Amino acid sequence: MDPNSLISFDNVTVSFWQNNMGIHSIKDLITNRKNPFINKTILNNISFEVKRGECMGILGRNGSGKSTLLRTIAGLIVPQGGKMTINGTFAPILAIGAGLELELSGYENMRLLLSLYGKARKNTNAIQSIVDFSELSDEVLRMPAKRYSSGMLARLAFSISVANDADILIIDEVLAVGDQGFQQKCMEKIYQVKAEGKTILFVSHFPDDVVKICDTAILLENGVISHRGEARIICEQYKSLF
Amino acid sequence: MQNITRIYALSKRNVILRYKNSIVGFLWGFFKPLLYLLIFIIVFSKISSVDNYALYATSGLVFWFFFANVTNQSIASIISSAGIIKSLNIPVIFFPLSEIISELFNLILMLAIFMIAMHWFGLVYSFKLLLIVPAVLLFSLFTLGLTLILCSLNVFFRDIGILWTTLQPALFYLTPIAYPESLITNHYSMVVKCNPIYYFIKLSRNIISEPTYPSGDLWIQCLVLAGVSFMLGYFIFNKLKNQFISSI
Repeated sequence: MDPNSLISFDNVTVSFWQNNMGIHSIKDLITNRKNPFINKTILNNISFEVKRGECMGILGRNGSGKSTLLRTIAGLIVPQGGKMTINGTFAPILAIGAGLELELSGYENMRLLLSLYGKARKNTNAIQSIVDFSELSDEVLRMPAKRYSSGMLARLAFSISVANDADILIIDEVLAVGDQGFQQKCMEKIYQVKAEGKTILFVSHFPDDVVKICDTAILLENGVISHRGEARIICEQYKSLF
Repeated sequence: MQNITRIYALSKRNVILRYKNSIVGFLWGFFKPLLYLLIFIIVFSKISSVDNYALYATSGLVFWFFFANVTNQSIASIISSAGIIKSLNIPVIFFPLSEIISELFNLILMLAIFMIAMHWFGLVYSFKLLLIVPAVLLFSLFTLGLTLILCSLNVFFRDIGILWTTLQPALFYLTPIAYPESLITNHYSMVVKCNPIYYFIKLSRNIISEPTYPSGDLWIQCLVLAGVSFMLGYFIFNKLKNQFISSI
């Protein structure tokens, strides 16, 4: 393995148990004695490397395994086969509202996620920087998150995630819901994170964003990497899918 | 150290979420057994032959509620934390563990209140009461094991949760909590003895409301039950935990 590489996947395969029980489950279970679960392969023989400071885009149709790939990289899913090496710390995966507890207020969510992330609970600096970045008012942050609009949820989630200075930032289609000003701000933040030499994994359905942010990209099709290379070329490939 | 902070944060979240939008809040932990106690005093005290019924029923009820609360709340703990599990890399076992810790906190509070209140009903203070600490630890270990089995199976078959809440009252009446043990005729004593909770309730009741020390046999029975339950639960949980994320 290249010592510069932060993430290295070597023929990684991920499969899930899929509940195979239909409406006749009990009868099937008794008569056929078949396994109630089938093993469904989501990612098949994935190999790639991400170097330190590299930004990699992940493109693909809906259901091609992008989120599963991100979760595997973040260590949430244990692969069934292959070798996976990771040398770095992660910020939580950024997806719309990911990890936010809807019954809790904005402030409570910040404290919960910060301490789950292993930060000191009374880290006022971190909380202040989240509040500043999210541009949400004090009144809003005292409301339970269930009353937030999806844009507000995205603001909160993005702000909490970038407050963790981790080596790898994982962004899963979060920018689409914010308003223009916040999208702009997120992009600036992403450029800043990139300039600091951190690694970004970026999932998006907007090839233009991917070209702007990423150096390299992979195109996923049905759980296998069909194309891999420079971001610009892969985005063209992606566009030609439709 | 980092993990302790995480479990603490999750336990705190559990307490906040449970009593959100409730007026008396965490005091429900105290009022619930108290209401049950009142009902039991009205219904059972006439027919029971126990001298000190309030003390007898309380010593069982407090522990039963600990058990019932832990299992009910943690059975869905993994499913309801899907958002966090899918975005943050923290050991999944922390979710049922944090439930048991927030309930343990509740139990300690409840025991403290009842220890004071029950003095009036004839609770004798002595060093023997300190034996409640190992008894609670054993009971927690047993409960944790059972909880791990229930919550990990519930991820794949949601029927487990429904089945458990339905069967729980049966388990409650199978345990001599509201009625004295002497009420059970020989015919049914086998059934009660198959119920593992019986031993833990008997142990804590022996410590709180009876003058004698619990026998060595009883301690060993509880120790074995707790050990077996915990090991079995941990084994099943570990076997299944990698597949949780595909089903939540």
